[in-house]
Amino acid sequence: MTATALLPLLALLTSLLAAVVIFVLPESSHRVRILVNLMAALLKLVIVALMTWGVFHGVDFSVSFTMLPGVSFMLRADALAMLFAGLSAVLWLFTTIYAIGYLEDSPNRSRFFGFFSLCVASTMGIALAGNMFTFFLFYEMLTLSTYPLVVHRGTEKALRAGRNYISYTLGGGVVLLLGIAWLHGLAGDLAFRETGHFQGADPALHGQLTLIFILLIAGLGVKAGMFPVHGWLPQAMVAPAPVSALLHAVAVVKAGAFGIVRVVYDVYGIDFAFMLGLLQPLAWLAAFTILYGSVRAMAQIDLKRRLAFSTISQVSYIILGVALFGPIGTVGGLVHLLHQGIMKITLFFCAGNYAETLGVHRVDELDGAGARMPATSTAFTLAALGMIGVPPLAGFVTKWMLGTGALATGVEWAVVVLLLSSLLNAAYFLPIVYRLWFCPVAAPWPGERRWGRLETSAWLFWPPLITTLMLVLVGLLAATAFSPLSWAQLIVVRMYLP
Amino acid sequence: MNGSPPLVLIAASILLPLLYPLLAARPGWHSILRGALPLLPLPALLLALLSTTPWTLELPWLLLGSTWMLDELRRSFLLLTALLWGTAGLYAVGYLGGKHLRRFGVFWGLSLAGNLGLVLAADIVSFYMFFALMTFAAYGLVVHVGGNHARFAGRVYIVMALLGEMAMLAGFLLAARDGGSLLLAELAAGIAASTNGWLMTTLFIIGFGVKAGLPLLHFWLPLAHPVAPTPASAVLSGAMVKAGLLGWLLTLPIGEVGWQSWGQGLILMGFAGSLGAAVFGVIQRDPKTVLAWSSISQMGLMAVLVGAALMAPGQVSALLPVIALFALHHGLAKGCLFLAVGLVIPAGRLLQSFLWVLLALPGLSLVGMPFTSGQLAKAAMKGALMVLPNVPLAGLLPLLLQAATLATLALVVRYGWLLWQQLERGTIPASRWLGWGLALFCSAVVFWSLPTVALVMSD
Repeated sequence: MTATALLPLLALLTSLLAAVVIFVLPESSHRVRILVNLMAALLKLVIVALMTWGVFHGVDFSVSFTMLPGVSFMLRADALAMLFAGLSAVLWLFTTIYAIGYLEDSPNRSRFFGFFSLCVASTMGIALAGNMFTFFLFYEMLTLSTYPLVVHRGTEKALRAGRNYISYTLGGGVVLLLGIAWLHGLAGDLAFRETGHFQGADPALHGQLTLIFILLIAGLGVKAGMFPVHGWLPQAMVAPAPVSALLHAVAVVKAGAFGIVRVVYDVYGIDFAFMLGLLQPLAWLAAFTILYGSVRAMAQIDLKRRLAFSTISQVSYIILGVALFGPIGTVGGLVHLLHQGIMKITLFFCAGNYAETLGVHRVDELDGAGARMPATSTAFTLAALGMIGVPPLAGFVTKWMLGTGALATGVEWAVVVLLLSSLLNAAYFLPIVYRLWFCPVAAPWPGERRWGRLETSAWLFWPPLITTLMLVLVGLLAATAFSPLSWAQLIVVRMYLP
Repeated sequence: MNGSPPLVLIAASILLPLLYPLLAARPGWHSILRGALPLLPLPALLLALLSTTPWTLELPWLLLGSTWMLDELRRSFLLLTALLWGTAGLYAVGYLGGKHLRRFGVFWGLSLAGNLGLVLAADIVSFYMFFALMTFAAYGLVVHVGGNHARFAGRVYIVMALLGEMAMLAGFLLAARDGGSLLLAELAAGIAASTNGWLMTTLFIIGFGVKAGLPLLHFWLPLAHPVAPTPASAVLSGAMVKAGLLGWLLTLPIGEVGWQSWGQGLILMGFAGSLGAAVFGVIQRDPKTVLAWSSISQMGLMAVLVGAALMAPGQVSALLPVIALFALHHGLAKGCLFLAVGLVIPAGRLLQSFLWVLLALPGLSLVGMPFTSGQLAKAAMKGALMVLPNVPLAGLLPLLLQAATLATLALVVRYGWLLWQQLERGTIPASRWLGWGLALFCSAVVFWSLPTVALVMSD
């Protein structure tokens, strides 16, 4: 087996093996578990970095086995795969660090970190999947490995949210599988290809292909939190903060959005999907979800629930970008896959910090928290401003590219949606920022803990600061060679000019 | 970039105020934090003084690829910004208590960095970034003192600012598409050539009109300017509103043919603001609120000049220096007037009389008294407006200008009266006297040696 075949497997296996080792380790071997976790995360980061470098220089990393006649297991690293794999690898490292601090002294850590690693292995598989079958395999593995994380606390509320989560996602999975099977029957085992497969397909098939498209998007839309199948997302907030961070930034919602990108570009082909008239309704749905999520977010008092509705809104930016049918809009959508991840993980880290350090879960309890936790609050403020789309932060680059893309293809109304969404984001984020910095502390913190010199435990203190630095730099240095923006442009160049 | 100042100076101009907030990370550094306030705009001041020839700086790695520059127009704005923030910073050393000093420092530094950066920016994205930085950070200055008034003012400020930002962004997105360039310098031609030109022009007039206090977009201004701590009021009313003016100058299709009616509209809006603000201003009881209305009134006159530039493409090269001069004059004088509100009456008759003369000076300058910056600015304005192409409005101009002078006089008298009643006896830290004195010195003396002034006087 050559190195180009080995690396994608290794990328997958690092977290898979870590999961196995962690499951086997006794609950009490705390230090070994931390070591395994961190080593695996670092190792994966190195592997992904190597592969990214290779893909940039045109190396083809792929490996495939035949599972059944006509069905193959296939991993392949193209530029789009590396976008998602890179996001996953980078944020996994910081989330692991954060989770170690967050779950200090809590029970069932072995189970937690085992499934945590499995969940990351699944996202890696989703990123590197080379055809719909492989994609589906990891997509469902993700569902199963995240369920124990959502219900980790074991409370009645958590179990209820878990049931809700599993019924939504398995339901979505069934619909997706239906679509994949139908597609397989129609066209066989389709490997993802930059131009899609159906350019010039027999017009007699158009009706079927349209139905299949709807099935696929509906199945994927559940995880992507698209209206009207977003209901599980706000409930899943009962999960511990690092899980929410992972769910909202990397794993679940992004898997859905990433799947939609794959279907539109690499299965159907953007031109063909446009010709079938499928992109326009998708754009409307995404636009509606963007506004709907924001409006709902405004009404939430629970901080994490507010962030959850914000995710529903923001993930649809990605889908809107795809549906705009133009290279610039696609760049905007793809770059948001990363940008939203960095910003949202920061916000959830901060929410976790307020919960763990001050015992604060509600927005109206945050008065004056800025003075008590200036670093966390600075991180929260910058990430919130980024979500609104204030330059030079990550969200601005997205908004600028999406807006430019919408105008370039004559979809002016999308710009209005983007501007409205910015205003709505401001309406539900700025009051929090105001409370943090300008309101005096109203009551003693519900459950304050102290950790020596830093405002919180060092494990919790650094991850949001590092991701904040990232969300500033990806915007400030957007024009440099290895920024997410440049990478998204590379993907699009390869998609549109194969 | 021939003969341009050293790169390190350009970087320091922005980075010093931008990174200054990091000092606030240490709880024990109050005196350093306070003492550094007047130093923050010094690199920018030096940069403005040394940039005797225009320069351009390409920063292809920054944002979506940035360009910064300093030409005659920007140099005048940079001088104003640096001088005013410097004197207000000096004043602030003796004004701020220990409470929330760190928070104030953070927002002061960031607002200043934004205000300086937007002057240097030559591309859409940098400009928008610095403008947003200034706008959002200044919110922290507006609500600094806390309480219901400040909270309400802050809310109106931020809501209107956000609407302005959105209008601006929509305009920039359209302009970037239709003009095919991210450079501000190519905006005017792009707008003129586009079928959406009217839309972009409307968006920019509204977007920057919020900052410049154009009538009906001004609501935040008389609320927010007075409620901020006095040194912050001075920079808000003297320097930051000018960012709206500069925004107009950089984005509107000035110098292009076919915008006469837009120019006339802006002239009418400007006069409406200039006269209307006086009506509301004279009934106020707080000298700072009177000054805020006076800022709306004066910004109205600057809107008139921008309108004139839209109307008369042939006169642009003559009008731009006049606008810059007017902004410089008003910024420095208004700064003094605001800073005076935090002074006290000294002991001794002679000293008191002397003080009142000095306190009145910038006010009289606004009215246009001989030997003041205001006389020069008003004369230059009149001269520029009189040569406008003959349009229906032209006959009314002398009358409107006289009415505007009366409006200014009424506001200045009202302010003086309120100050007379409200200034208390007592002692204040020396740096407050120094900051105010230096601002006055800039307005009355340094003004005459600034390059913009020489340019206008030579015409």
